[in-house]
Amino acid sequence: MTGLWSLTRRNTKLFFKDKGMFISSLITPLILLVLYVTFLANVYRDGFMSAVAGMNIDVTIIDGTVGGQLISSLLAVCCVTVAFCSNLLMIQDKTSGARADITVSPVKKSTLAISYFLASAFSTVIIGFTALGAGLLYLLKMGWYMSLSDVLLMALDVILLTLFGTALSSCINFPLSTNGQASAVGTIVSAGYGFICGAYMPISNFSGGLQKVISFLPGTYGTSLLRNHALRGVYAEMTDAGFPEEVINSIRDSIDCNIYFFGTKVSEGAMYAVLAGSTALLIGIYVLMNVLKKARKR
Amino acid sequence: MENIIEINHLSKSFGEVKAVSDLTLRVKKGELFAFLGVNGAGKSTTISIICGQLEKDGGEVFVCGENIEKNSREIKKKIGVVFQNSALDSALSVRDNLKSRAALYGITGKNFTKRLSELAELLDFENLLGRTVGKLSGGQRRRIDIARALIHRPQVLILDEPTTGLDPQTRRLLWNVVQSLRKTDNMTVFLTTHYMEEAADADYVIILDSGKISAEGTPLELKNKYTGDFITLYNPTEDALETLGLPYEKIRDAARIAVGNTAQATALITKHPEIFTDYEITKGKMDDVFLSVTGKKLTGGDEK
Ligand SMILES: Nc1ncnc2c1ncn2[C@@H]1O[C@H](COP(=O)(O)OP(=O)(O)OP(=O)(O)O)[C@@H](O)[C@H]1O
Ligand SMILES: [Mg+2]
Repeated sequence: MTGLWSLTRRNTKLFFKDKGMFISSLITPLILLVLYVTFLANVYRDGFMSAVAGMNIDVTIIDGTVGGQLISSLLAVCCVTVAFCSNLLMIQDKTSGARADITVSPVKKSTLAISYFLASAFSTVIIGFTALGAGLLYLLKMGWYMSLSDVLLMALDVILLTLFGTALSSCINFPLSTNGQASAVGTIVSAGYGFICGAYMPISNFSGGLQKVISFLPGTYGTSLLRNHALRGVYAEMTDAGFPEEVINSIRDSIDCNIYFFGTKVSEGAMYAVLAGSTALLIGIYVLMNVLKKARKR
Repeated sequence: MENIIEINHLSKSFGEVKAVSDLTLRVKKGELFAFLGVNGAGKSTTISIICGQLEKDGGEVFVCGENIEKNSREIKKKIGVVFQNSALDSALSVRDNLKSRAALYGITGKNFTKRLSELAELLDFENLLGRTVGKLSGGQRRRIDIARALIHRPQVLILDEPTTGLDPQTRRLLWNVVQSLRKTDNMTVFLTTHYMEEAADADYVIILDSGKISAEGTPLELKNKYTGDFITLYNPTEDALETLGLPYEKIRDAARIAVGNTAQATALITKHPEIFTDYEITKGKMDDVFLSVTGKKLTGGDEK
């Protein structure tokens, strides 16, 4: 394992110093922020208002709900898109020749593979935690209903989703070797993941067929976990304020706190199991890909 | 002398292109080995195979007596490579680059600091340590590439066109460093270059053409075989040149007469002692060898 630590450090440093990779990884979260500021926040606020129309409510609950919705969406996209973009280093090293320069040394291929994984996960966690911190400050201002355990659970979600994103991007980026492929992956993930994880628009708004497809994607459950933890306090507050159970449940349905797999509601435990299980599976595939890959043919 | 690199019947194709075919060569310990050839001759491909970057199609390669297929990690500790295109991380500083590479050889902490300052002094880049590699000039960057290759004190240094695009001063600096390491550490140098004056100092030269060896030997052997000698005759008269009746090239106050070899030159001079009063005999240059070897192939000449 000689060099693992220093390679990981190098990869992480490169991500933060390479403006191309760093900035492109933040594009999706930034788009999301802009969408919220310009109109999404109002759309959600109006939606919640109409759901609780006629009831006597404190406006900060609504603000807290919209805020929780925002930061959970933000974290859900962040963890995956940042992981993908930072893991593009794997491809970039092949095109720049740095991989050749590293592998003329007696370093093991497995050490290099692990260093990409660790660095990508580490960079993503740094950004994810920064975003979480900023998000919590924002909630503190908008309407704070979270407990310490909610915060800790969200941190856990960020870590899990980061590991998932890192494992997925490791498998996808591993066989790629040109700049064109790298930018294609970067663009597709940055543009598409916000949609399919329900950050731009709740999955419950999609057509039935699409919802079924999305319910097969493990990332979906990551988003839902974040939602649940960000909004648990808000729902508790609503119950305390005497909101009827069905109103709260319809809000939960409308913003993906409840996810249905072919009609069956998925429990939180099951969400954890799906996320952790698929991450473990992807890591297994990544390891296998590395083992099976022989020396470069051309 | 011990063979430090031994290649037997190496071949490598990229689809239709036979980059290297049936290449056999020996590099002896401590020698400066020049590997020449026109663009696309297969030099970089051979280097990639020696340092384990590229899989070969056939043949055997031994470095320091070990088969590269069996013991590549041991071999990698012993070779340092300067690639044709710099392969450092352009976004990181010189120090960070060298630090991350040194750690791959287990050189960290104090050992690294010590080695870094040695190399920085040797290659004169103390003032560049904090600079971002991507923002260095070509020559500055090349010095860092060489430091990278030398960081673990390799026994064999492989240089793929290390001096292309460098100013004469930097080239001199690099050569001085390489020559002194050859003396002090008995380091072997495997060099590809397009500068023939660099090849002229080599102990052994191979000229590669389309993946095959088209000429090999010491510079002297090659010069004797592929170029004739030249007699520079000072202040010749027109009459004298006419008497000799040989092809010559007029230069300022002299004529450069081409002769087949030194024996012919001696014969000519002893035959016309009255003409050869002020003269000089020189061998052909490596440039002449290279042109004659590669040029002959191109025109499909009958001599070989
Ligand atoms: N990865 C590759 N894929 C396909 N063809 C390749 C590849 N690498 C090299 N070649 C081909 O193999 C041949 C030898 O290339 P190589 O790079 O070894 O030449 P070279 O002698 O180093 O030339 P130069 O002096 O220009 O550096 C060339 O025809 C080149 O086009
Ligand atoms: Mg080359």
